Order: sequence, then C-alpha cells, then structure tokens
Amino acid sequence: MLSLIVVLPFLSALLLALVYLADTKSKRYAFYTIVGVGTPAIMTLLSFSVGYQLLNGSATIHHTLFQWIDIGDFNISVAFMADRLSVVMISFITFIGTLIHIYAAGYMKEDEGYGKFFSYFNLFMGSMLLLVLADNPIMMFIGWELVGLSSYLLIGFYHQNSDNITAANKAFILNRVGDFAFIMALSLLFINVGAEGFTFDAIAAHISMIDHETLRLIGILLFIGAMGKSAQIPLYVWLPDAMAGPTPVSALIHAATMVTAGVYMVARYSFIYVEIPDVGLFIASVGAASALFAAIIASYQSDIKKILAYSTMSQLGYMFIAVGLGAYSSGIFHVFTHAFFKALLFMGAGAVIIALHHEQNIFKMGGLRKHLKLVYITMFIATLAISGIPPFAGFFSKDAILVTAFVSEHYIIWGAGTLTALLTAFYMFRLLFTVFHSQEKEKHALVSLPASMTKPLVVLAFGSATAGLLGVNEAYGGNSAINTFLSLPDIKLHLSHATEYMIGGLNVILALLGMGLAYKLFAGNAEEAEENTFFKKLVINKFYIDELYDFLIVKPLLGMSDLIEKFIDPKIFDGFINLNVRAYLGAAVLFGKLQNGKVRYYALYILVGVSAISCYMLIKLGVL
Amino acid sequence: MMHNILTNIIFLPLLTAVILGVVRAPIKILKFGAFFSSVLTLFLVLWVTYHFDPHGGMQFIQHSPWIKSTGITYFVGVDFLSLIMLLLITLLMPPLYIYMMHEERKGYWYNMMLLQTGVTGAVLSLDLVLFYLFWETMLLPIFIMIGKYGNGMHQYNAMKIILMTILGSMSMLFSIMYLGYMHFEVTGIWSFAIEDLTNIIFDVETSIWLAAGFLLAFIIKIPLVGFHTWMAPAYGSAPTPAVVIMSSIMAKLGIYGIWRFGFGLFETTLMYYAPVIIVLALIGLIYYAIRAIKEENLRRMFAYSSGSHLSLIALGLFLTNIYAWSGSLYLIGTHALASAGIFIMIGLIYKRFKTVHISDLGGIAGQAPIFAFFFAFFALSIAGLPGTGGFVAELLIIIGAFKTNIWIGVFTAVTMISAMVYVFWMLQRTLFGTARNTCSFNDLNFREIIMLLPLVILLLLTGIAPSLFTPMFEPQLSAFLQDTLHAIGGLK
Repeated sequence: MLSLIVVLPFLSALLLALVYLADTKSKRYAFYTIVGVGTPAIMTLLSFSVGYQLLNGSATIHHTLFQWIDIGDFNISVAFMADRLSVVMISFITFIGTLIHIYAAGYMKEDEGYGKFFSYFNLFMGSMLLLVLADNPIMMFIGWELVGLSSYLLIGFYHQNSDNITAANKAFILNRVGDFAFIMALSLLFINVGAEGFTFDAIAAHISMIDHETLRLIGILLFIGAMGKSAQIPLYVWLPDAMAGPTPVSALIHAATMVTAGVYMVARYSFIYVEIPDVGLFIASVGAASALFAAIIASYQSDIKKILAYSTMSQLGYMFIAVGLGAYSSGIFHVFTHAFFKALLFMGAGAVIIALHHEQNIFKMGGLRKHLKLVYITMFIATLAISGIPPFAGFFSKDAILVTAFVSEHYIIWGAGTLTALLTAFYMFRLLFTVFHSQEKEKHALVSLPASMTKPLVVLAFGSATAGLLGVNEAYGGNSAINTFLSLPDIKLHLSHATEYMIGGLNVILALLGMGLAYKLFAGNAEEAEENTFFKKLVINKFYIDELYDFLIVKPLLGMSDLIEKFIDPKIFDGFINLNVRAYLGAAVLFGKLQNGKVRYYALYILVGVSAISCYMLIKLGVL
Repeated sequence: MMHNILTNIIFLPLLTAVILGVVRAPIKILKFGAFFSSVLTLFLVLWVTYHFDPHGGMQFIQHSPWIKSTGITYFVGVDFLSLIMLLLITLLMPPLYIYMMHEERKGYWYNMMLLQTGVTGAVLSLDLVLFYLFWETMLLPIFIMIGKYGNGMHQYNAMKIILMTILGSMSMLFSIMYLGYMHFEVTGIWSFAIEDLTNIIFDVETSIWLAAGFLLAFIIKIPLVGFHTWMAPAYGSAPTPAVVIMSSIMAKLGIYGIWRFGFGLFETTLMYYAPVIIVLALIGLIYYAIRAIKEENLRRMFAYSSGSHLSLIALGLFLTNIYAWSGSLYLIGTHALASAGIFIMIGLIYKRFKTVHISDLGGIAGQAPIFAFFFAFFALSIAGLPGTGGFVAELLIIIGAFKTNIWIGVFTAVTMISAMVYVFWMLQRTLFGTARNTCSFNDLNFREIIMLLPLVILLLLTGIAPSLFTPMFEPQLSAFLQDTLHAIGGLK
C-alpha cells in the first residue's frame, strides 16, 4: 500500500502525458479531470489508512519495492518508510493536494494545456511523496530532484512567454546549487557509515562512527540543500519569480508542500542535528534573518502573488528557527498549519485574479468585499491565522516557535521573530484591506467563479481555523498532541506558564497593532508605495539582490565563456597547434628554396656534404 | 554461424558493403542491405549477450595466426568492457539507418558500413596490431563523411581532425612496435597479443615512454582539455550519423583504450600519470561546460557537452575504486545513448529548418509538442536528471571521488550544476518563447518516434532500475579492479 501511494501518481502522470501527446488539440476534459483529480483523492485515502495503522500501534511501516543498485557497499533499494513524521507529512500533502487539484480543475478549465497541467501536477505529487516516504537518502534525493523538475515544468507552464522560462530556469538552477551541497553531504555520509547499510535507520544507528568535524560539515551541507529548496537567504531569489506559474501551482508547490521539504529534511536528519547544536544555531539564525528580511520586502510589494511568495519565505524562516533550535515538532507543526492557511491565501488570490481577468496588482483591485463574499470571508480567516490571532491555527504554531527561541535564550532570534510577527500582521492585512475594503478605483466586470474553485476554500478555511488545536500546549489547556505523536528528539525546555502567557500576549498585541496600522493606511484609500526615500527605494527593489547575483555570478560566467571562445581556444590551444603547422610550412618553403634547379648550388651541397662526412670520419678515426 | 560469431559480427557490415558494391546495387537495395546487415548484427550481438557469462573473463575467443614471421595474430574476444561497447555500437546503427532513410548518396551508406566494421573490430581486437588496423579503419569513413558530406568549413575541419588524430595514432604505433620488439627481446618470439605482453617487465623509464605513446592517442580521441580543438569544428561540420558515432562510440573508444591497454599493460605507470590526468579531467569538466554556455551552434554546444562528460568518465577511470569505475562504465553507456539521442534530434531540427543556430530557433514546443518532449528528455538525460541513467553514473563517480579525496569530490560534484546551466538556457531559447523562424515545424512522424523510442526506454530503464544492468559487468569489473589494485600495491 505504501508503494502504491508513491507509484500511483507517477503512473497516472505517465498515462495523462501519453494521452495528451497522442493528440494535443482535442479536449478530453472529463478524462483528464477524472484521472488527474481522482489519483490524489485515492492517495489521500491511502495516506489516511496508513496513518490509521500507525495510530493503532505499529511503530513504522517499511516496504521494499525492488533493489535499485548493488555495487560494492553501495546497496540501495527503492524502499519506503512511513513513520510518524512522514505520515503527518503525507496526510496533509495528499489532503491539501487533492483540494488544490479540484480547484485547479476549475482554474485551468479553459487552458489548452489542461491535460499537460494535470500530468505535471501528478508527477509533482509522486515526486513529493517519494521525497517524504523515502527509506534511504538516495531515494529522498531522487524525489528531491524530481519535485524540482516538476516545479520547473509548472513555473514555465506558459512557455510562450520567455520570461516565465527564465523564472523556471532560475528556480531549477538555484535549487541545483543547493543539491550540489546535498549530494556532497550524501557522499560524505555514505563513505563514513555506508558500509553498515544506507537507510535512515542504519545511519541513525551508526551516527557515532562519524567524527564531529565531518558531522558538522555534513550538517551544513545538508542545510545548504534545504536553503535552495526552502528559499532561505541567500538562495531564495527564485521563489518570488516562481509566481510566474499558474496560481494552483503556487498554492501547492510554492506554498504548501515542496518549499517545506527543506524543513522536513532537517527534521528527518534530526539524529545528526542533535549532535551538532552549533550548526543548528546557524540554521536558526539564517531562518530568523530570512523571516525578517522577507517580511520587510513583503510590506512594500504590490503584486498579490509576490506578497504571498515573500510571506511564504518569511514563514519558512520561522520553521527553520524551530528546527534549528532543536524544536523539531514545533517546526513540523508550523509546516502543517502553514500549509492550510497559505494554500488558502494563494487559492483566494487566484480566485481574485481570475475574477478580475488576470489582474495581479492589489492597488488596482479595491472594494471586492461585496462582490466576492465567500473569497473575502475565507481569506479573512486565513489572514487571521497567519497573523497569529488566537484561536486560529497560526497562533499556536508560531507561539511555540517564539517561546522556544525565548526560553533557549537566543534573544536576537526571538526579537527578529517577534518583529516579523508584527510585520506579518501588517503586510497581510494590508493585502486584505487593499483588495477587499479600499475604494474601488474602477468598475470591475467580474468573471463568475465555478464551484470547484470556491468549495475547496471553505474546507481550507475550516482547517485554518482549527488545525492549530492539534498542537495546543499545556499553558492553553491542551496536551501538545502533535508533539507527542511525532516523538522527535526535541530539546527539553522548562518554562512557567507566566512566560508563555507573556510571550503569547505580546504576539497578539503586536499582531493587533499591525492589523490596526494596516486598517488605518489601506482600508480607505490605498496608495501604492512610491520610491521617494532611499529606504523605500531599496526595499521596493528588493535590496537589489537580483542585480547583485547578476553582477557576481551570471556576468562573470558569460564573460568566461566568451574568454574561452575568443581567446583561450583559438589563441592558446589552437595557436600552439597552428604554430607547429606554420613551422612545418616554413620548413617546406626553406627546402623548396634550396632545391632551385641551379647546378652550381647542387655542387655546393655535395661539397658541404662530402666535407662534413670526411670531418666526421677523421674525428672518429682519431686523426684530428 | 555461431562458431566464429565475433568475426561475423565484425565483418558482416563490410561484407555487405563489398557485395553490394561489386554488383553496383541500386540505392534502394543498398539501403535495405545496410539496414538488414545492422539488424542481423544486432541479433548476433544479443545472442552473444544472452550467452555471456558475467564471471567468465574473456569469452568467444577466436585466435588464429595471421602474419607468422612477426607473430601478428587474428585474436578477438569479448569481456564486460568490450561487450558494453559492442552493444552500444550495434544498438545505435539501426536507428541511424532509419534516420538516413531519405539519404540518396550511395557513398554515405558505404561509409557507414565500413565505419561499423572499424569500430566493432577495434573493441573486439586483442592483438595490438589488429587493434591498430581497425583503429585507423574507423577514421577513414569519418574523414570522408566530414570532408565530402559535411557543411561549413568541412574540408578544413576534416583535415584538422585527421591530422590531430594521426599524431596520436603514430605515437601509439611506435609504442606497439616497441612492445612487440620487447617481447622478442625477452622471449625470443614475436607477439602482439595483450595476454603475452602483460607478462613483460619493463624498467620504469621505458614504461613511462611507452605508456605515453598510448595515452596521447587516447587523450586526443577523448579529448581531454588542451587536445580538444579538433572536436567542436569536426562535430559542427560532420553529418548527423557521423556525429553520433563520434560522440557515442569513438570518443568512448579513447576511454576503452585506456582501460584495456593502459590498465591492462601499464597499471603502475598509469598511476604515475594519474595526478596530471585527474587535474586535466577536472579542468575539462568545468572548462567545456562553461564554453558551451554561449555556444550558438547546437552541434558544437553538445560537442563541448560531450567533452565535459568524457572528462568525467576519464576522471572516474583514474580514481581506481569500485564506485568510480562502475560509474565510469555506466556513464559510457548512458551518455552514449543520451548523446546519440540529442544529436539525432539536432539532425531532425536541421532537416526541418536547415539551421542549428539557436538564434534562429524558438517556440518549438508550441508547434511540435512530441518533438519538444523527446528533445527535452535527451537534453535532461545528458544533464543527469534522476530517473535517467546519467544520474546513477554521476552519483557513483561522485561517491568514488569523495572516497579518494574530499577536494576531488567537491570539484567532481560541480557536474551537478555545470551541465544544467547550458542545457536549461538552450532549452529556453530553442523550445520555448516565440518562434523566430517563419516556416512551420512538423512534429515527429511515426518513423522518427520508432527510431527514438528505444533510446528513451533504455535511458529510463538504466535510471529506474540499474540493478537490471549492473550484474552484467560487476563481477568482472571488480576482478579487474582487484588485479589493478594488486599491481599498484605491488609497487609500493
């Protein structure tokens, strides 16, 4: 059954691709929908039943499909493992994935690439589940790469526009930079403990065989891989551009699932990270910096999807704070709650974009509250959730992270996280108020939305409101159910309820402050930010990081390519060869001159020759 | 027929060519004959593969005297290494003939048959003189195909490839002659068979010079960086079938040569050269990849790409551990399939648009989705995407590199990124965006799909289930490696 969850979407992707390629022009709407949406629905049921088995006692479920390779000690199988961590992941991935597939059936209905879209979408689901359910690091890496491929294909889905492909390339290549580090980490891991078997269980059992220095190196390299996939500083620049893909893609891949793979990886390798807390602190610092940095940029963006993209990056920063500081369960908990409200926000944004004929600038929307009531209400709930207003989901997961930072006495990280919480409420309500409350600038001729696009919003809104209840801790009268279930090697913290209430209260006050500020500025007459001060100019242009990349990496690389083409190859390597050729030709000309047909010259050569031989013989005979 | 099966495999194409030539067969029969000979050869090779014993060492041996006075023999046999090369050659020929179906110039067909005999003979020969003979035989058709049927500055480029390759061949010939003479000196009889020559013990200096003679020939063929300036012009000018053979087979023969003759005859001496070659290979890996980024001509771009991957194979070969060696062997196979695929696709672009310049292309995916799928698939296989065989090979080589030395490992892992950069930028400008060419682009037809499908399926199989293929070569490869390590260890 475990294998089926992974194999099924790949098969369905293949089937859809074949049918689509057989005749790209014909519309097989019903077929594509049934196969495309039906597959994740079946997977959801399968995932839930696996989860049910785990709840009823079995610790982990292993299943080996076949042996992948066996060379030397390198013995890898295509094998899957469902433990508590992966089962939490697959449950929400398949569930939210199915909702987004249903949504996409409405969103993409008119698109001529409808079949292709679902083929890619199912390919993504398969790859993501391979990543999560992998029993060994190599299979995880393959899933890791394939989600990157599907992300590339889907970002560049509207391939007629070359800019979209640029965005897709950027995403893939930056991810590959992370993968470069990832594969080095795997190789190091393998040559150190691979002889004892190379599954997660085996590595965890023999982790003490690796010396501390190597382990730190492995930890850092793995995290660089996570940086690429989960869009953390400095490998984040692809995520905002990735919004070029259709909105369901942004909701599924660039908000709810794929980008959280980095967090999942750190939790999966928690047996390494508990040994190296200093690397963990580095991870948390990068997370905190990314969270704050992205929140600042989000506060000045005008494109609805870009705001959400930066918001995703910022929330991922929170998750890395948690896993970096050793609170793995809290990190995964935030992954879980975030999937609900961020998917909802993206789908709501997509609904607005469709309703307004593909308008993405929030300052050209305005006053949609009356026209898109359902979208408004559901997005309002999601915004409350992400801003951390209790009792919505985000409050509990974010609170757990900030409490960890505070109690483990990393006050700078805690401060950055708290400031980010304020900014989060501000930019999210800025978005909400501008789109739904502010004055209508122009009359909108709205497109009506199909039910397949609105119903999933309601389900997710329900999730956004209640998902947090799974992780309510003692201070708020719960029992941290999700932490207990996950049973990851979390750090143990001792804190009083008073501290809890203080931090929780502060967060709520800050969130309300951000909300109030946003209401004051944007609920009436919303104006797009102008580049009138140095700081604003810097932020609106995203700190010129793209330009910096261009200057530091792209330009030198192209320059080097030019240098080889124009100078090194023709002048040095070919130059050397041509030098020989010319010398050879020169010798030929010289010999040609000697052979000039004049007898007296030939007589001279004979004379020279005979003299030389005579001299030689005389020397040899010892006469001279 | 099955008694001298290797001889039949080698000479069947040549024999067909001779018969067809003598009866001055019309072009239709010529096409059919060539195709038929390639399919028949394929069946013979599959028969050999089926009866091949993975533990059996050199098999299907045929050894008969040829020129008795100097001990030159006709000596052929097949082991894991030659079997893989043999399979690649014979698998690629039928698709290439299908590709050439509308080619009306007779010389083209005769050359291809001669070429097949040349490369097949080279991988099966176990006598150095015989090997040399086939090694030169395969150069001739390539020279003619570039010079006569090529494009661009094809005559100049044909001259360039022949001169540079012959420089290597000459140095190799010298080493071969000297080896035979050494055998005569030591034992009193002439012999050029590898199994006899391995027993001779040289002094260090002689060995270094003799090995250099072989290495120069193979390094030019691969080519490692610095010996590569013939490559891009030759690939750029050659007609598609010749490019496929050059990149998929002949470049790998350079690797094959080092493996068979280098490690067979001079293991310890090769370790003396190893640092230089490892450095050259690492430079080449990155150098070619960077050069490919701005290349406008698709054929030349993938010429550099080929150079980059062959550097990686050469690197794995000199790392002498089981992971790197398996990876190199695996990459020989998967890269041959992928590069054959991509060069055929480029040929199909040329057939449609009469150009292979990226700036003239664009928007193909919109007009021809099936073509775009195949093209992207082969390009990504070259870049080593998981799910295709290239990934398995690269992974093994990277692990092998880390096993040797962490810094070599780091530089080897760059292969993860280097190919992606030019491949993805190229895909963007050819398949996507808006069409810059006004003529319409026909999608693949049935014949073309049939021709490409075997390559796709093999690439997927090698990527998804490597365990189907590894048992075929693993036992002999480890034994060979043990011998080599033993010999190297003996020096220390």
